[in-house]
Amino acid sequence: MSGAFAVVYFKELRDALRDRRTLLMVLVASILTGPLTLVLMANFVSGLEEKAANPKVRIAGAQYAPALVNFLQRNDIEVENAPADYESRIREGRLDAVIVIREDFDEHYLAGDQVKAEIVFDDSRTDAGPSIRQAERLLRAFNRETGTLRMVARGVSPDLAQPLKVDHVNTATPRQRGALFLFLIPMFAILSPILGGMSIAIDATAGERERGSLEPLLGNPVPVSRLVAGKWLAAWTFASGVAMLTLAGFAAAAILYAQRKLGALMAFGVPELVDFVLVAVPLAAMTSSLQMLICTYGRSYREAQTYMSYLVSVISFVPAVVVFAGLKDAFWQLLVPVLGQQMVLGRVIRGDAVPLTDYVVPAALALAIAAACLAGITRLLGDERIVFGRS
Amino acid sequence: MIRVEGLAKRFGEIQAVRDVTFTAPDGSITGLLGPNGAGKTTTLRVISTLMAPSGGAATVDGIDVARDRLGVRLRIGMLSDARGLYTRLTARENIAYYGALHGLAPAAIERRVSELARWLDMEALLDRRTDGFSSGERMKVAIARTIVHDPPNVLLDEPTNGLDVMTTRNLRDIIRKLRDAGKCVLFSSHVMQEVSALCDEIVIVAHGAVVARGNAAQLLAASGRDNLEDAFVHLAGEAH
Repeated sequence: MSGAFAVVYFKELRDALRDRRTLLMVLVASILTGPLTLVLMANFVSGLEEKAANPKVRIAGAQYAPALVNFLQRNDIEVENAPADYESRIREGRLDAVIVIREDFDEHYLAGDQVKAEIVFDDSRTDAGPSIRQAERLLRAFNRETGTLRMVARGVSPDLAQPLKVDHVNTATPRQRGALFLFLIPMFAILSPILGGMSIAIDATAGERERGSLEPLLGNPVPVSRLVAGKWLAAWTFASGVAMLTLAGFAAAAILYAQRKLGALMAFGVPELVDFVLVAVPLAAMTSSLQMLICTYGRSYREAQTYMSYLVSVISFVPAVVVFAGLKDAFWQLLVPVLGQQMVLGRVIRGDAVPLTDYVVPAALALAIAAACLAGITRLLGDERIVFGRS
Repeated sequence: MIRVEGLAKRFGEIQAVRDVTFTAPDGSITGLLGPNGAGKTTTLRVISTLMAPSGGAATVDGIDVARDRLGVRLRIGMLSDARGLYTRLTARENIAYYGALHGLAPAAIERRVSELARWLDMEALLDRRTDGFSSGERMKVAIARTIVHDPPNVLLDEPTNGLDVMTTRNLRDIIRKLRDAGKCVLFSSHVMQEVSALCDEIVIVAHGAVVARGNAAQLLAASGRDNLEDAFVHLAGEAH
C-alpha cells in the first residue's frame, strides 16, 4: 500500500483547497502583509528624513528675539511663527516642538545677561523626537556662538569653556540602519508558516476526531505512519506555500515601491528572497509537525485552536527576546530552533556574509524535530486510549 | 467467517469484555444483542483490529486480529459508531478515498462506486458535497465507504442508531442483500425487535460475557419465556 501516502496527501490538499473561506483569508493576509508593512515603514522612515531635510523651527514670540532669528536664518533654518494655541496642539500631537521666547529677551540679551527660553514638547510621541532634538541642538548652537563671541570680546579663549570637542562618527551603514525596521521581515518569515499550516494541521487531527472520521480512517489497511506522513506533507506544503507568498509580497513591495522611498536603507530583492525561502521551508516542516502533534491531543477543533495559540505565543516570543535582550550573534543560537532562523535571517537582511553551515544546521535540526513529532503522532494515533477518548 | 474465542478486554480497572465466544459464519447475519455497556462495541473494535485484545483470540477468515492487523483490515468492512464524512468532499470522493486507501485502482473504484450507488439507491447524491446531507443520506455514504473494497466480512456497530423508520427498513434490506451475496454479517444492537427481525443467529452479551446463543426459538426455549423481550431481559440479567 505504498500509494496510500500519496492518496492521503492529495485528499488533504483537495479538502483544504475547498475550504474557500479559510483559504481566502490566509491568501489575502499573506499577500497583503508584505506590501502593507513596507509601505507603512517607508512612510515612517521618509517622514523622518523629510523632517531632517527641511529644517524648520516654530517659535512663539520670534519678534522679541531678532538675534536668535538672525542666527537661525544664517544657518538656513526656516523660522515659523507658532500658532497661539500651540500648547493644546502639541498635546493633541499636531505640533512637535515650539521654542517660546519671552518679551524681555532682547533687553537681557543686549545687556549680556542670561536669557530664558523654553522648549515646549510632548516626548511621549516618538515621532516628535527629531523635532525636539533639533530645537535643542539649534538653541545649543546659538548658545555656543553667543558665548564664544562674548568670551572673545573679553579676550578669553573660547576653548576654555569647551575642553572636550565631540565629533559624531556613525559607523552604521545605511543598510544596517534599515535592518532595525527589517527585523520585521524575519518575524513574518517565522510566523507565516504557522499561519499557513494551521487549518490543515487542525483539520487533519482534532478535526478528524471531532467529525467522527478518525476511527473509520484508522480502520483502513494502511499503517498509521503513512497516514500521518501524508497529512503532514500536506500541512508542510501549505505552510511553505504561505511563507513563500508572504515573503514574495515583501520582495515585490520592496522592489516596486519601498526601494525608491527607502533608498539605501534596505534591500530585500530576489537574492534575499531566495535565502529567506531556504530558511523558511525547513522551518515550516518543523512548525507544521509541531502543530499536528499538539492538535492530536485536541478532542475538538476549538480545543486544538487553544493549544495552537500557546504554540504561536511561544514561537513569536523568540524574535522579541532577540530584540529586547540584545543577543549577540553566536553559534549556540543556531542550535535553538526559531532563534537560529531568526539570527540567520537577520544576517541576510543586514547584508552580512552567511556561511553554508548557518543554513544547514538549523534546517537539519528542524527536520529532525519534524521526524520526532511524526513518530510521536504515529504513536499517539496507534494508542487506543488516545483514539477512543481519555477517560 | 469470524471466530471469537474467550475474548477479554480490560481498560485499567474496567473489565469491558470478560469472556466472549461465538462464531459468525459466511452467508449469515449474526447479531450481538445486549444492553448498553455490555461490551458489544469493544468486541467489534477488537475484531476490527482498532483495539488489541487483553485475553483470548479472534480470527477473521483464519487471520488472527492480534498478529496481522492489516491482513484483517483487508478482509473486513467496519461501520463504526463514528460515521463522520468529509463535508467538503462529494459523496463520490468520500467513497473513492477509502477505495484508494484499500489500494484499488481508479477504474475499479469508478466501477464500484456506480455499482454501490445503484445498490444503495443514492445515484443522485454522488456528486453533491456531503455537507447538509440528512442522516439517512450520510448513512448510505458511510455504508458505501465501508464496503467499497467488497469485503467478505461486514461489521456494523448499532447501525440503526438515530435513523428514522424508513431509513431503518432500507438498512435492513441492505443487510439482507449483503447476506445473500454470501458475506459474513455481524452487527450489534440493543434493540430486541431489530435483532429478531434480521438475524439468523443471536448472541446475547451482558456484562462482558456471552449469556446465550441461538436463533429466536432456541432463545425462547432456553429462557422458558413466551416472548423475546422477556427472554432477553431474563437472559441478560442472569449474568449477575
